[in-house]
Amino acid sequence: MSGPHLHDAAPQGVTGTVIAVTALLAACAYLAGSTRLRLRGDAWPKWRDACFTAGCAVLAYALLAPLPGGPFTAHMAQHLMIAMVAPVLVVGARPLTLLLRALPVRPRRTLLAVAHSTPATVLVFPPLAALLDLGGLWLLYRTPLFAGTHHQPLLHAAVHLHVVVSGLLFTFAVCQLDPVRRRWSLAWRATTLLAAGTAHAVLAKALYATPPPGTAFTTADSHAGAQLMYYGGDLVEVVIAVIIAVQWYTAGGRVHARRRRRAESTGTAPVTSAFH
Amino acid sequence: MNESAGHASAPEPGRSLAVCALIGAALMAAVDEIVFHQILAWHHFFDRSTPAVGLVSDGLLHTAELLGLVAGFVLYADLRRRHALAPAHARAGLFLGLGGFQLFDGIIDHKVLRLHQIRYGVDLPVYDLAWNGAALALLAVGVVLAVRARRGLRS
Repeated sequence: MSGPHLHDAAPQGVTGTVIAVTALLAACAYLAGSTRLRLRGDAWPKWRDACFTAGCAVLAYALLAPLPGGPFTAHMAQHLMIAMVAPVLVVGARPLTLLLRALPVRPRRTLLAVAHSTPATVLVFPPLAALLDLGGLWLLYRTPLFAGTHHQPLLHAAVHLHVVVSGLLFTFAVCQLDPVRRRWSLAWRATTLLAAGTAHAVLAKALYATPPPGTAFTTADSHAGAQLMYYGGDLVEVVIAVIIAVQWYTAGGRVHARRRRRAESTGTAPVTSAFH
Repeated sequence: MNESAGHASAPEPGRSLAVCALIGAALMAAVDEIVFHQILAWHHFFDRSTPAVGLVSDGLLHTAELLGLVAGFVLYADLRRRHALAPAHARAGLFLGLGGFQLFDGIIDHKVLRLHQIRYGVDLPVYDLAWNGAALALLAVGVVLAVRARRGLRS
């Protein structure tokens, strides 16, 4: 047991503060963008503002405030918030769509070029995004990397940044709410979510049995942390699954309504005219 | 899957049965997780004798249960809105799913993969018998309902 100083979940020092401030600035920019849209008469649901702001607030809170529990549990709570909860809230608010609508023509063209560039298209291929996210997680907890982050501030900063960015990338790719060049089918995205969820659950149980190499957390602490990872991960996976399911349901509804209209206009009375 | 969402709609008995079987299996998995893992704490979160393949299959099954529950409910909602739900087949499917998962859990998870046992420090065969007996009873109800649903369809 090397004491709680081994890993302080908070305060995070420079990287945490930089990411947190960036998140809060992003929230301000989002609200400015949605206000601009509404002022010119466009519709932009209020709940998306709340969703994005909440995501940024979760990110900032997890990086700046001290979290309860032993050092490993607190670390896990932080990772859960910055890599899973915050990304779902941020991605659910469709930030790219808002940016593309709110920006003036010139920067919008630049952004669109970046969003439709080959590297961006490759990165949002769901299995690759999952590999970057979960692969990084496995490296962190199953190699001495995790112990290393306690001694090397630069490594610590890089890991933090990777966790946040890869969490956002994974959620963005699997949910596919924003316009990207290549649309991936439901089967690709659902299978990716299934595989990623499996890797997450297996890693959590492996951590329950053996904590990351080179660390010395108490058994109670590492058990609590591993279970938090397992069940917390479940919760966010279900939210992502619901997002995908609602997309499918809505798309099906549009097809259904179209066929009904066509049937009515050609005079063949459909059985489902009582629909709605 | 989108193309099937748009068909206007005679009842779809096969799809109704399959969708409700999916819901049943996922529900039973969730009940197992909540009742036996969490409330009674009979099962262990992690049994140290669990082999790697068991751990992976457990993780896969657990994730599939969560996604299956979401998928099952949205597919059910889709059947309802298209008036394509065949209620008798849906009921049969639900029981087949409940019993099917219970039997799978009792035979494959507990015995073949030896993920964990039903309870520790007790006379295990009695528990196994009750577990798998309950599974067979649920399956039997499912089969009877399915046969009656098919007869009802013909008449």
